Amino acid sequence: MMRAVRWSALALLALASLAPQNEGVSVPLVQRGRDLDLPAPSSADAATPAAAFVTPLAGPAYDDDAALPAHADDVADYTLIATLDPIAHTVHGEGTITWRNTSTRPVRELWLHLYLNAFKNERSAFFRERVGGRGSEAPEDWGWIDVRKLVLRAGDDAPVDVWPTAEVHRAGDQDETDARVPLPRAIEPDETAHLDVVFDDKLPIVVERTGYRGHYHMVGQWFPKLARLEHDGTWAHFPFHHLAEFYADYGTYDVTLDVPADYLLGATGPVVESHVTGGRRIERHVQTDVHDFAWTAWDAWHSARENIDGVEVTLLYPPGFASLAQRELETLRFGLPYYSAHYGRYPYEVLTVVHPQEDAGESGGMEYPTFITTGGMWTTPPGLLAPEIVTLHEMGHQWFYGLVGTNELAWPFLDEGLNEFAEQDGMSKWRGDGSALDLGGLEVSDAALCAVSGAMGVHDEAVAQAANAFSTGQNYGSLVYGRTASVVETLRRVYGDEPVMRALGRYARRFRFQHPGPDELLAVFEEVLGSRIGATLRRALFEKGWVDYVVDGVTAEEVTRAAGVFDRDGQREKVETGQREGGGWDNSVLVRRRGTLAFPVDVDLMLADGTTRREHWDGEDESRRFSWRGSSAVRSAAVDPQDHVLIDANLENNRAGADGRGASATRTLERVTYWMQLALQAVSP
Amino acid sequence: MTETGLAYRATGPAIGGDRPGDELVLLVPQAMRARRHPRAIAGVWAWETVLALLASGPTAVLARAAGHGDGPLWTAGGHALLDWLWHDIHGLRALLSGAEMVLVLAAIAGLVPMAALMAALTYARRDRRAAGFVQSLAAGSRAFPPMVLLLVLVEVLQALVVLAGGGLAFAVERWAHAGLGEARAEQVEGAVFLLFLTAASLVGVMHDLARAAVVRFRVTWIRALGLGARTLRASPVVLWWSWAWRALASVAPVLAVSAVASKIGGRGGFALGFLFALHQSVVGLRVGLRASWLARALRAVDRAGGNERRVPAIEGS
Repeated sequence: MMRAVRWSALALLALASLAPQNEGVSVPLVQRGRDLDLPAPSSADAATPAAAFVTPLAGPAYDDDAALPAHADDVADYTLIATLDPIAHTVHGEGTITWRNTSTRPVRELWLHLYLNAFKNERSAFFRERVGGRGSEAPEDWGWIDVRKLVLRAGDDAPVDVWPTAEVHRAGDQDETDARVPLPRAIEPDETAHLDVVFDDKLPIVVERTGYRGHYHMVGQWFPKLARLEHDGTWAHFPFHHLAEFYADYGTYDVTLDVPADYLLGATGPVVESHVTGGRRIERHVQTDVHDFAWTAWDAWHSARENIDGVEVTLLYPPGFASLAQRELETLRFGLPYYSAHYGRYPYEVLTVVHPQEDAGESGGMEYPTFITTGGMWTTPPGLLAPEIVTLHEMGHQWFYGLVGTNELAWPFLDEGLNEFAEQDGMSKWRGDGSALDLGGLEVSDAALCAVSGAMGVHDEAVAQAANAFSTGQNYGSLVYGRTASVVETLRRVYGDEPVMRALGRYARRFRFQHPGPDELLAVFEEVLGSRIGATLRRALFEKGWVDYVVDGVTAEEVTRAAGVFDRDGQREKVETGQREGGGWDNSVLVRRRGTLAFPVDVDLMLADGTTRREHWDGEDESRRFSWRGSSAVRSAAVDPQDHVLIDANLENNRAGADGRGASATRTLERVTYWMQLALQAVSP
Repeated sequence: MTETGLAYRATGPAIGGDRPGDELVLLVPQAMRARRHPRAIAGVWAWETVLALLASGPTAVLARAAGHGDGPLWTAGGHALLDWLWHDIHGLRALLSGAEMVLVLAAIAGLVPMAALMAALTYARRDRRAAGFVQSLAAGSRAFPPMVLLLVLVEVLQALVVLAGGGLAFAVERWAHAGLGEARAEQVEGAVFLLFLTAASLVGVMHDLARAAVVRFRVTWIRALGLGARTLRASPVVLWWSWAWRALASVAPVLAVSAVASKIGGRGGFALGFLFALHQSVVGLRVGLRASWLARALRAVDRAGGNERRVPAIEGS
C-alpha cells in the first residue's frame, strides 16, 4: 500500500521467527523484535566502510542474477472460475485449492482467510481498527464472502465437506475474516490435499482496495485463501487488519474470469485463453510463483500496451487520463529495468497497471503480484510527481513483499519500509533533487519527504514491530515508511551507494521466494557492510535509534601575547593585556553528536578569507573539538554539510556562526516578499 | 463644459491647489494613459512592496535563526526547508496569521493607493503638470468611502455568482460522470464554472468602471454603479476583453519567471540579485498592466458619463 496511515488495536500475532533458510545465514538475531541482545559496536571495526566490509559467506553472493531461483516452492495452487455479475456486484467462484504440507508436523486444521468479510460489518477487525485515512469510513454498501462448500480430498479418503464444521469467528469476536477449519484427519508432512471450493462474493462499494463504483470493479481479497503454514507447523493466520493483510505461500494461480463481453479485464498473470461467447468475455489467466491474485473489470477502460525490459506491460486507465498514463509508462520504462538491475530480474512475463478514477481512488495505490494500482488526478501538473511516485512505489512491491514474500503483519518495515527506500532511491536517480516536487523554482525530493515524515514518531516507538502494535496510524505511516527509508538512505549516503545497494540487492535475490524476516535482512547488511554498520541498522530499527549533530560553539580569538611581567635574558619586560602577536587567530569549533546512533560526518569550517576547510569526524565520540591557529579567523561551521545523515533529528543546529554571530536570510526575504507581493495583487482592489 | 479637440474647455471650478496652476483639472480621455504616469505606478509598487516586506520580514528573521542563515533552506531537494517548516511550524503559523491580516487590511486600505493611481491618471494640474503625490493621495482618500461600499456590494455579488456557478458545475459533473467518465465530466464542470467566472469577471469590470466614475466624476457610490453598468452595457465584449487580455498578460510573466527560477537558483550573490530584479520586474509589470486597464476604464466611463464632469478638463502634458 502507499503511505497507508493506519493502526490496529488487536493483539500482536507473534509469528515464529523464521529459521535460516539459505546458505550461510546466521543464527536469528532477533526474536519478534523485542528481546534483542545487541552487541556493542566493536572497537575493532574500522570507521571507514571499506575497512568494515567482511568477506562474503560461502556460496553464491547473489550480487547478480546468476544464482536466482527459477521458481518458488509450489505450496498452494488455486484453480478457480469466477463469474462477475456487474449489476448485482457479485462474483460466483468455484474451483480447487491444492495444498501441500511443507512443515515438519502433521496438520489437523486449516486456516482460511476470508478477507472480503472485512467489509461485512463494523464489527470486523478492519473497521474496529479505524486509524484515519482511507478505508476508515463505513462503506455505503457492504461486502462479504459466503463459502458454500469446502470439500477435502486427501489420499484415498472419501471426499468430505469440511465447511460445516468450520469456525468462522472466535467466541466473543465477530470478525469473520480468519476461519479455522478442523480436518477429519491429519495431513502428514509433504502430503497434498485438495479442497474443492464454492463461494459467492458480494463486493462492497470501493473501500480501501476492493469493490465497485458504477460499472467499475476492482476485485482483490476475493477468494478463500489459505494462511501460510510455517516450517514448524504453526499457521501464520490473522484477521484482515487495517494496516496489514499480506502473507501467503507461493503457488500457481489458474483463474478463469467470466465477465460481460463489453468489459475489459486486467488481472494477475498472462492471458492464456480468451474468447467471447454468449455475450460473455472469458479469460483464463495463469501465473506461477505468486501468492495472490487480483483483477479488475470495467466497460470504460482504455488501455496502453508496451514491452518494457522484456515485460509485457498493460496500462488500464479511464477516459481522459491518457497524459497521466503516459507519465506512468515513462515511470515504468525507468523503474522496471532499474529494479531488475538492483534487486534481481523481474521474473514474470506481464505487469498490469491499473489507474482507477478518483471516485474509486481508495482502490488505487495497491499491490498484488504482477498487478498494481496507481492513482492521481488527471489534472496533476507535471511538476508534481505523485503519480510517478505511486507508480514506482507499487511497482517496487513486486520485489519488496511480492518476490521475497515477507509477513506484512509481523514486519511491515520489510515490506513498506524497504519498498519506500527503493522508491525514493529510484525517484532520486531518475528525477534528481526535484523527485517529488519541481514547481516554481522549488525542488523537493522524495527522500526529503521521507526524512521529515520519518522523524515524527521516532522517539515514540520502534520501527521494527508488528503492524497492529503501533500506537497510532500516524506513527505506523511515519516509522514504517519514512523512517525505514531514511535510515537505509542515510547508510547509502554515508557509506556509499555501491555497498548499500549491493546489500539490499543481495537480500532481495538471496531470499527471493523465501519469506525472510528481519534476521535475514540484518545478516546480509552485516555481511556486506560489517557488523558495526549492521548494529547501527539494528539499533535504528529496533531501538528507536536516533542522532542529532550539533555545532555547539565557534570561536575565533586573535592571538595575543601572554600579559604580565616577564624576565627574559636579564631584562624585565611588561606585556600589556591584549597585545597582538603576529596577526594570527586561535580558532575553535565544538561539534557534538547527540543520540544513540553514530555516523562519520564531514565538518566544514568557513574562514574569514573566504576559504573553507573540510574536516572529517568519525562521529564515534559524543563530541569533537577542532582547534587550530591560523592566519584567518573562523566565521562559521557546518556539520554534515552534504546532508548525508538524512535522519539527523534537527538540521537547524547543524550550522553556527563565530561567537553567536548570525547570518543573513536574504534569500528567504527575497522569495517571501515576492510571493507576498503576488498575494497582495491577488487580493488588492 | 464642451470638448474642443483633445482638451476640454475649462468652464467650471478646478479642484484644490494652494498656488495658481496647482489646482487639478480633468484630462481628456485620449490623455489618460498609464505610460504617462510611471511615478504613480512606482508609487503603487512601493505600497505593495512595503506591505509585503512588513509581512515577510518576520519570516526572514525566523529563517535567519534557523541554522545560521537561510542558505540550506534553499538548496535543491528541500530537506532543510521541510525540516525547518516542521520544527518551526508554530512560529510559522503565527507568521502566516500575521500575513493573512496584512492581506485583509491591504484589500481594504489598498483602495486608497488604487484611487490615488486613478486620480493621477485622470487629473492634471491646470498648468498641465501631472498631479502631485499629495494631491493624488488626497483625491484617492476622498474616493475611499464610496469605494468601500462598492467593494462590499460587488464582492458579495461576485461571491454569489461564483457560488451559484460552483453549485451548478458540480451538479452537471455528477450528472455527466457516469456517461462521460471522470475526466470528461470534470472538463464539462470546468467549462460551466468558467462561464460563471466570466460572469463574475464582468461584474468585476463593472466594478472598476464604477470606481473610475467615483474618481473621475466624484459621484456617490450608487451613481457610480449606475454609470459603470451603463458603460459596460454599451460595449461589454470590448471592455471585458480590454480587462481580460491585460489580466492574462499579467499571469504570463509569473509563469515564465517560475519556470526559469530554478535554473537561476538565486542562492546568493549575483544570481540572487538577478532573481530579485526579475521578480520585481514582474511585480512592476503587473502594476503597470493594472494601471493600463484602469486608464482604459476611465476613458470608457468618461464617454458614457460626460455630462457628469464637474471640473474642467485639459489635454495634459
